[in-house]
Amino acid sequence: MKTVINEQNRRNFAAQVESMLHDKLAKCYQCGKCSAGCPVNFEMDYTPNQIIKMTELGMEDKVLNSKTIWLCVSCNTCSTRCPKGFEVTGIMDVLREIAEKKGVTSKVEKEVQMFHEVFLDNVKSNGRIFELELVGKYKLKTRHLFRDMFLAPKMLEKGKLKMHGEKIADLNQIAKIFKDFE
Amino acid sequence: MKLAYYPGCSLKGTSFEYEVSLLKILEAMNIEIKEIPDWNCCGASAAHSINHNLSVALPARNLAIAEKDGYESVLAPCAACSNRLKNAAYELKNDDILKKKITDSLEMPYDSEMSINNMLEFLIGTVGKDKIKSMVKKPLSGLKVASYYGCLLVRPPKVMQFDDPENPVTMDELVALTGAEPVDYSFKTECCGAINSLSKPDVVMALTGNVLYDIKKHGADLVVVACPLCHSNLDVRQREIERKYDEKLGLPVLFITELLGLSFGIDPKDLAIDGHMVAADRVLKKIEGLANQR
Repeated sequence: MKTVINEQNRRNFAAQVESMLHDKLAKCYQCGKCSAGCPVNFEMDYTPNQIIKMTELGMEDKVLNSKTIWLCVSCNTCSTRCPKGFEVTGIMDVLREIAEKKGVTSKVEKEVQMFHEVFLDNVKSNGRIFELELVGKYKLKTRHLFRDMFLAPKMLEKGKLKMHGEKIADLNQIAKIFKDFE
Repeated sequence: MKLAYYPGCSLKGTSFEYEVSLLKILEAMNIEIKEIPDWNCCGASAAHSINHNLSVALPARNLAIAEKDGYESVLAPCAACSNRLKNAAYELKNDDILKKKITDSLEMPYDSEMSINNMLEFLIGTVGKDKIKSMVKKPLSGLKVASYYGCLLVRPPKVMQFDDPENPVTMDELVALTGAEPVDYSFKTECCGAINSLSKPDVVMALTGNVLYDIKKHGADLVVVACPLCHSNLDVRQREIERKYDEKLGLPVLFITELLGLSFGIDPKDLAIDGHMVAADRVLKKIEGLANQR
């Protein structure tokens, strides 16, 4: 793999990540404990310790387009076990946020990204999650209309799927929060 | 002590059994809680995944409302909600610049002293073991129960400040109070796949399958949880996991509040145990059988 890195770009990217993370990339000494304990490591294209090193090296495109950042389930096993106390789970959040802000759409794991977006849209319009609407919109967006549909009849019968969502009264305040921070 | 209640979205939807059983056991113990007025979604995993400021601002609104209403403590039974509320409280306490941005946006003050309790902390810490023990009218002795903690109750430890992140025991202690036998197994704190249930179902089934088959191997009659996300993956996806791995599980998954309710002698119907996808009939019969033997 040939990767030519411009030193200024490398510094900019590493500095951006460090300032959002409130942590230093150089803390990581590549022991790999984070990756050994990661429950989803078997699906990842780069292990978490590789992602840390690649970020330090300024490999922005590869990192932001990796499957890893979207497969991470934020279970925090890595950060809990890190002998250096590095924010391994935190760096995944930071990289996802940078990807989102830059409009980088994951080619391989776009459904995870879409789910988060649809989820926040639902919070924005109702103040709370209306599960049926969330699932419906997610299915329309991903076109996986029938996946998991076999679960629906029994969930309805058990009373798990509510037909009506609740909206909060002060939706203006929610709109303001989104306006200020989105 | 005045205690604010933050139900969160799941307890009003797919995990309604959790709220029904919680309110029932609190009623039995004469403990009053009050829902935070006009509470909003904590943003769950989606907010922290793609927008850090939102992941603090959304929970912060709930904390600020609770504070304005004079509460010092919040009960958040959903593990994901309690995790997000604790994370937000931690950041507001340790990052003054972020705190100013957020309180300015909310146009509400917040003095960062709210104590946030997950279900287990509340039961052991606030209610207390003695009180719970005194409520047990129908001991579940003979029943083998595996406690599944998952991630969000214990990690990250510096923020959650609760139990041991690698080998938590609080839920096992509650199980023991009911007279049931806590089952030891390896996957107590392994992740079930949580948020990716809809977007990566195959991965979630592999992770949840690991947990369930390990519990089965250690001879448990049922599983107890204190998290709606864990419950959805372990209960709702269980049939599919059995089909995928071609091996029967038949493990009812109960909320810890339901198990306590059963030991208090509350009717299973009043605890909404019939709301689960995996029927608990066999376990309920076993409990009746055990009671008749005594």
